[in-house]
Amino acid sequence: MLNFQTIMLFVGFLMIIAGCYCMIRTYHMLKIIIGIEVAMKAVTMFLILAGYMNGHMGLAQAYVITAIVIEVIVAVVFAGVTIGLYKKYGNMDIRNLTELKG
Amino acid sequence: MATIIYISLAFLLIFCVMAVMSHSLLKSAIYLALASATLGVILYVLGAYWAAVIEVSVCSGLITVIFISAISLSKIKKEEVQKLYSDKKRMWFLPVMLIVVGVALIVLALANDLSLTNTAEKVTEDFREIFWNTRQADIIGQIVTILIGGIAVFVLFRDDEDKK
Amino acid sequence: MNYLNYAGEAFLLIPLSAIFLNNICNKRFIEKHFHILTGAVALLQMIAAVFAFYIMDANQMLNFDFSVFGSSKITGIELFDINPVSLVFLFCIGMVAFVSVMISIRTIDVKKGSYVNLLMTLLIGMNGMVMVSDLFSLYVFLDVIGISSFVMIAMFRSRKGLEGSIKYLIISEIASIFILMGLSFISMKTGSLSFKDIGRNLLTNTFELQTILIYAAIILMIAGFSIKAGIVPFHSWLPDAHQSADTSISVLLSGIVIKIAGIYGIYVLTNIFGGIKAYQVSLAGLGIISVVVGALLAACQSHFKRIVAYSSVSQMGYILLGLSTGSTLGIVGAVAHVFSHAAFKSTLFTNAAAIHEQTGTLEIDEMGGLQSRMPVTAFSSTIAFLSTAGIPPFAGFWSKLLIVMALWGSGNQILAGFALCASILTSAYFLRLQKKVFFGKTPEHLSSVTEVTGSIKFAEILLTAVTCIVGVLFPLIIIFLHSRGLI
Repeated sequence: MLNFQTIMLFVGFLMIIAGCYCMIRTYHMLKIIIGIEVAMKAVTMFLILAGYMNGHMGLAQAYVITAIVIEVIVAVVFAGVTIGLYKKYGNMDIRNLTELKG
Repeated sequence: MATIIYISLAFLLIFCVMAVMSHSLLKSAIYLALASATLGVILYVLGAYWAAVIEVSVCSGLITVIFISAISLSKIKKEEVQKLYSDKKRMWFLPVMLIVVGVALIVLALANDLSLTNTAEKVTEDFREIFWNTRQADIIGQIVTILIGGIAVFVLFRDDEDKK
Repeated sequence: MNYLNYAGEAFLLIPLSAIFLNNICNKRFIEKHFHILTGAVALLQMIAAVFAFYIMDANQMLNFDFSVFGSSKITGIELFDINPVSLVFLFCIGMVAFVSVMISIRTIDVKKGSYVNLLMTLLIGMNGMVMVSDLFSLYVFLDVIGISSFVMIAMFRSRKGLEGSIKYLIISEIASIFILMGLSFISMKTGSLSFKDIGRNLLTNTFELQTILIYAAIILMIAGFSIKAGIVPFHSWLPDAHQSADTSISVLLSGIVIKIAGIYGIYVLTNIFGGIKAYQVSLAGLGIISVVVGALLAACQSHFKRIVAYSSVSQMGYILLGLSTGSTLGIVGAVAHVFSHAAFKSTLFTNAAAIHEQTGTLEIDEMGGLQSRMPVTAFSSTIAFLSTAGIPPFAGFWSKLLIVMALWGSGNQILAGFALCASILTSAYFLRLQKKVFFGKTPEHLSSVTEVTGSIKFAEILLTAVTCIVGVLFPLIIIFLHSRGLI
């Protein structure tokens, strides 16, 4: 039961938990990007592991490169929206956002 | 070769958890860059040469630059950052448990010397042929995404009249 | 077959060329006439969808593969694929985009945002998503839709817009990460992710790591697409994001984006995994919870757009119920409900834009008695409400009937009864809305409002006509489908 694939899956799963914990429990808006990035690294590792397991490494690399491009653009858009909110409120605290009621 | 992967996995987990738990944003960014470099090492050893190069150059370089420029555009003094987090209850045992479990597993793997089992035969194909010839739908998607990124920078960072 | 080739490539290349035209031409000219450019693109999309459907039906073709930029000459692999279901979705996309342009003539100041560019990229994303034949390309276009809608909500950089955009962004990124994790687990077992190669027999009955991974992939992908579609319990972003955007963007978001980003993904999953009993049970459970909880939450809101957003949550539950049956009748009912929901939800948001234009407020406690002053708005709102609640002879009645019949026929009689009774809840919150806004006494400060004029009135009349005509002519559609052997 304990082989190489299982260990990599388990470490990746721990990284995704860490990333989601960061996204949910932080009070600083820019820390959310760090959570997204950590989770995307785990997904990159899963994609390359899948390519290693079934032998099609070229296809897996194509997937990873596309995912990296999308990840960069999401980080840019998030930073833009965050800086817009900083200009409105004066600090980066996410507890300020109370205008919309749940 | 298996030992390199296991040691790099341990470092990757440690760097990621430190990036999540650190109080200062600059240190988080640097831990993230180190984690990207370690992931590049893992990708290279597994055989994904092109993906490793792009991962190290883009994630460890470009995203760190974007992050640090976003931090510097919002000039918060260091004392305010500490004040933001001093009243937040930290569950410090959760990341410690994560690191301990992860590292224990890897030490177990190193002790038993689990080697890389490759159950499928490798299909010899060139990444460049596949990417440019068969994944054209992805390329169209990527071009449109980069276009939206350009429009977003233009719209969101525009510097016209300041509404108070 | 050349027409189909041109039509297929037109869905992707026409919005792209509209972006180029928008940025190259003279700026003042474009700012005065932007609605002609975008309206023409939306109209062309609707006409091309109908035309392609007619040709495909005349030649008895079930699907048609094509590629853009002629890459198939090199490897013989076709990248895009049209079938009649995707043509119905493409028609809905064109219709809602047209309505959004009609509203934006009055409510958007084009100098301040990039409405035209972002609408065109959103169209490329949605058209691409319903036309691809590969799971990973589906994910890429899903992210194109996501990033485009984040920027559209935050376009005017108001406080509410930026806050709604951040909440939507965080939750949508979690969904994208789940979907990509599910994709990687599926890819560990099969070599490629294209629809033809995955096949239907992914699950074997042995207890090994691969089977656990495939089950985990199914759960993760259902969760990811449900977050994007606004299904309970993942619905918390939907009212905030749809309320804080400008009304012409709320039409797009609630009218078509949650359906393409969420429901089309679940439709693709149903094609792959539809035979598994656990999959059908989980979809049915999510659907019925969404129908009931969405309706209950809508009954206690006091903002017009929030009521309509919670109503979207409820209707998405109906579509999931239709997809969970696994029979062809259920899928036909779900696709028909996508179309009728696009029609009546756009009508409701157009009414919201009209009321906001004329009275300046959207809190229903401050309104009343607008029926005598805004008769066209009141009439179209009543027709939309009757269609939502499933009252004949409007379009909503037929699609709900098909879904309930599919549920009954596949053995879930209890769920069919629940879905019928939930229509009462739907009528409840809409009756409250109608009574508070349109009937009753007019308050003092609203005694001088008049009917809205111009493009918003035209959009209301057009959508009401579509709902009535499709409702009256629906038996012809059923006869047509029966003659093709689908029902």
